[in-house]
Amino acid sequence: MATTAERTDAQVVRDVIQGDRDAYRLLVRRYGDVLHSHAVRMVGSQDVAADLVQDALVRGYRRLSSLRDPDRVGAWLFRILANRVRDHLRSTRRKEISLHVVPPVPGERRDPEEEASGAEVHERVRRALGRLTPEQREAFLLKHVEGRSYEEMAAVMDLSVAALKMRVHRARDALRVLLKEFA
Amino acid sequence: MNDDDIHRYLDGEAEVQGLDGNALAEARSWERMLAAFRTAHPATPAPSWIEDRVMAAIEALPEPGPVARAWGWLVRPRPVRLSPGLVGLAAAVLVALVLLHGRALRTPAPRPGADEAAVVYVQFSLTAPGAQSVAVGGDFDEWQGTHVLEDPDGDGVWTGRVAVKPGIHTYMFLVNGSRWVTDPRASSYVDDGFGNRDAVLAVAAPAT
Repeated sequence: MATTAERTDAQVVRDVIQGDRDAYRLLVRRYGDVLHSHAVRMVGSQDVAADLVQDALVRGYRRLSSLRDPDRVGAWLFRILANRVRDHLRSTRRKEISLHVVPPVPGERRDPEEEASGAEVHERVRRALGRLTPEQREAFLLKHVEGRSYEEMAAVMDLSVAALKMRVHRARDALRVLLKEFA
Repeated sequence: MNDDDIHRYLDGEAEVQGLDGNALAEARSWERMLAAFRTAHPATPAPSWIEDRVMAAIEALPEPGPVARAWGWLVRPRPVRLSPGLVGLAAAVLVALVLLHGRALRTPAPRPGADEAAVVYVQFSLTAPGAQSVAVGGDFDEWQGTHVLEDPDGDGVWTGRVAVKPGIHTYMFLVNGSRWVTDPRASSYVDDGFGNRDAVLAVAAPAT
């Protein structure tokens, strides 16, 4: 008999659908960090991101029985979160999000001058990213910050590679202008 | 400098050796900037309370009733797996039938857009004055709520057409990206098992 830790996503999904609610905790643990990191990068607020992740995970539970491919529940949950994040950004109509609350990178110790210069660069890139459309920001982050291939992005976002490339290209074109503007 | 070269390089589809002087300088500049984007947006682990809150919210949901469970069993998508041998046998039978009755069988010429004939465009409508956005979601889009409705004249009536495959579907409206609302004008409903009512939509196959 498979232990809890060994259960595949498909097995966990089946167990949850058959009534083992607590099994859903495994999916929360497996995908919570990835979802939260993406949400923080998109909305710039850890509090808002946490609320969106919580909402997406509860929504995923409620609709689990409509999942077509239980082996890909991680990508499915990511898609629910991504939609939720885009809706949030649209509904709040924020053209430029505040990303000041993103924590500094832990670990590295630099001299004060380098530190100031790095902080300035980070501020520029955060402001520039906040000016992109939600769709462009999402595609750019998946490609260049989360380091996913276009094929992985297409699988997660349920979009074609060509459409995603176009979004990333437009994001880079916009960033090129914005970064000069913020320089 | 060619922008396409830079994009191809940044997409990992071109080698740095293929870039000329200006493009190379821009590529290096992009690499530094992309590194800055990565360090400015580090991974942020989920706070531990998310798990507790998600599980508490789930525990608070009512148990699905027998009707909802039966409905869920009926409409749940199921993968169909066929062994190569079975597929081969089916193909052989089909070929034999065609050969035996070839003269009697007439294959109609493919109609324009025949691939799209499998879907029917359904008009959805919800009166929601004051809403900032309205979308429709259902089992046809795995409840993603990606089909956005529009209210171009601002009268509070949100409408939109969605391509849906023939069959029985359930759906709800997603208002302001966060609130699921039952269609008050649906002809029938089914309990979703969690205290809400999904609207039921019956889509007939298009006439040939």
